[in-house]
Amino acid sequence: MFEVDIFTKKGFKDSRGEHVLSDILDIGIKGLKKIDYSPFYIIDGSINKSEVKMIASELLSDKITERFKVVSGVEDKKYKNSIIEVLYKKCVTDTVSESLVKAIKDLGITKDVKVKTGHKYYLHGNVSRDILNKIAIKLLANTLIQEYKVK
Amino acid sequence: MKKVKALILRAAGINCDYETQAAFEVCSAVAERVHVNSLIENKNKIFEYDILAFPGGFSYGDDIASGKVLANEIKNKLGDKIKKFSLSGKPVIGICNGFQVLVKMGLLPDPKLFEQISTISYNDSDKFECRWVYLKTEKKAKNESNCIWTKNLPDVITLPVAHGEGKFIPVNFKLLEELNKNNQIVFRYSTKNGTIPEYPLAPNNSVEQIAGICNTKGNVFGLMPHPERYIFALQHPARESFDGEYGWGKIIFQNVVDFVK
Repeated sequence: MFEVDIFTKKGFKDSRGEHVLSDILDIGIKGLKKIDYSPFYIIDGSINKSEVKMIASELLSDKITERFKVVSGVEDKKYKNSIIEVLYKKCVTDTVSESLVKAIKDLGITKDVKVKTGHKYYLHGNVSRDILNKIAIKLLANTLIQEYKVK
Repeated sequence: MKKVKALILRAAGINCDYETQAAFEVCSAVAERVHVNSLIENKNKIFEYDILAFPGGFSYGDDIASGKVLANEIKNKLGDKIKKFSLSGKPVIGICNGFQVLVKMGLLPDPKLFEQISTISYNDSDKFECRWVYLKTEKKAKNESNCIWTKNLPDVITLPVAHGEGKFIPVNFKLLEELNKNNQIVFRYSTKNGTIPEYPLAPNNSVEQIAGICNTKGNVFGLMPHPERYIFALQHPARESFDGEYGWGKIIFQNVVDFVK
């Protein structure tokens, strides 16, 4: 299993991160200075790291504005800042992953792979865990179909 | 007189194919909507046509990024044919999602290179922007542009945009200079007077307000605005028209049909 994290390169605008920060301010939560948004993908199957890197380079990231990181297993590194991770619940169809499985085959990788897609929000600033849960529930996750983790 | 044949490429999520077909038909071309799977099964079918159009829409749901999945599919399964078609000088247009596809597969700005050297990224607003905008046509700013699609247009025209990812970004300043030097920048967002606009007339904060580019030869053209949505005056909110009947989009499609004839 591999996790691929996508980041906006320095010098390019992280519109989604800025938008989320603006929404957080709009619901009256203060104390956060910046949000970095990072889509991520969990790829499972009989696939090797160099193939995953090719998928990350050719499909998952934009060559001009984004960079990627491939981790074997699932990323569990400790960060100085808080992270909210949002993923679909197991019973919910992940339509982006279905397109991605097709696109991986188009790329010439015919091995069977399973993909899960998710979103990470890196929150820079000081807020309590209760506030992080409030941000996740009110803004970032539709808890009917998505689950979230505060790290 | 020769009947001009245009291929309108369909795929899952494309939704401007009928309008694009109608635009070509109004200009007396024979336009056929062909699904990408059908073209992959019979790759040489593409050479039966004079014009290739990548219409707007949300191909594959805009999953991963707009146009990415379709660009990947076309490049890997039809790449050599598409490149050959483009390098032969036959007209190619990518509108909105089609422009995103052309840029992400690398057919623009340089079909010879056929590598992605620019991108179309998220609007600065992080919102879907949908409105009529003004476009400065670059043909009179410096030398006459090579773009065969945009002859006979005035200095400023108006067309509608509808996109969430329309911010054109070249890989570096050198490429931007080359695009300028080679007159490959065809349209820039502008005010009604042709000056540099602010949001919302600049819908995405594209680098140097770029709204459309072509290759150096001028036959491959991509733009974020929708010319197929302004064929008739009736499609304009104020019913504006240059001749009482048609809109600026008609000139764009007519140019290329006349070019092929």
